[in-house]
Amino acid sequence: MQETTFLILTALADTSQHGYAIMTAVQEISDGRVRMRAGTLYAALDRLREDGLVAVDREEIVDNRLRRYYVLTPAGTKQLAAEATRLHANAIAALSRLKLAGGMGT
Amino acid sequence: MTDSADLERRYSRLVAWYPAAFRREHEAEMLGVLMDSARDRQQRVGLADAADLIRGALTLRLRIPAQAPGTVAAAIRLMYVGAAVALAGWISTVVTERGVRSAMLRSAPARWHLMLVHITAVEVVVPVTVVGWLWLAWANGRGQDRARLAFVPYFGVATLALLSMLGIGAAVYAPADLISLALLWLVQISAIVLLFNSRSAHYYRPAEASGS
Repeated sequence: MQETTFLILTALADTSQHGYAIMTAVQEISDGRVRMRAGTLYAALDRLREDGLVAVDREEIVDNRLRRYYVLTPAGTKQLAAEATRLHANAIAALSRLKLAGGMGT
Repeated sequence: MTDSADLERRYSRLVAWYPAAFRREHEAEMLGVLMDSARDRQQRVGLADAADLIRGALTLRLRIPAQAPGTVAAAIRLMYVGAAVALAGWISTVVTERGVRSAMLRSAPARWHLMLVHITAVEVVVPVTVVGWLWLAWANGRGQDRARLAFVPYFGVATLALLSMLGIGAAVYAPADLISLALLWLVQISAIVLLFNSRSAHYYRPAEASGS
């Protein structure tokens, strides 16, 4: 899974969000490292919808503008969980080989 | 207010590069997000935003539809390879033309005219075939049967070009041109095998009747 995809799915993990909120959340989740822009976000969202990982939750009109809220589908939740578990296991393995596990931040 | 109207017009000119189906679905929403992320009194589209929008449009236009069977998806990837090889071949033809010329004038001057005709044809025709490859990739991705059939004469022309290049001594005097033609020919025959594979057949439907 690409990092862009992973971050978008993570942004939607606990709540539905509209486009701008996803961009802000991605920046927050990545600790400011990834600044996602509209072109990247919508190309990714289009694919994720086609793949059935993300769906439209609802639409609102705010200041005469369409706001569409996106939400994870059950398949999206499952895929994100699987990917997070995999990354977590890899990270644990790396830290333990580096003898850093448990010693972080102390 | 006029600042933001100008900015929005500039953004929508970039969004116009996206596929029509995508724009119907996302244009208004995307402009909203772009305007939300704009700074106060911003008038011009930032370079990074513009590059990101163009990249997004390219990604969507070159994307292989998820419902395409594996054989068709592989054929489309080959078509992108074909476009890249054709472009590389074109560059190499332009760059090596002088070397080919001096080698042939020295040892096979009688055939140089034929080679020159060939090289000129390549320089003119290949840019068109790059566009052709991209169109074939797009139309095959949408399951258009005529795009699959169009591949057959495309392949015929490449075979003729390869044979005629061999006939005028390209193996000796213009090896780079010959290699790129041979690569293209291999890409095309592989794509044809994939497109006419029985697993691809159900994805294709006849062209819609015109005027309906």
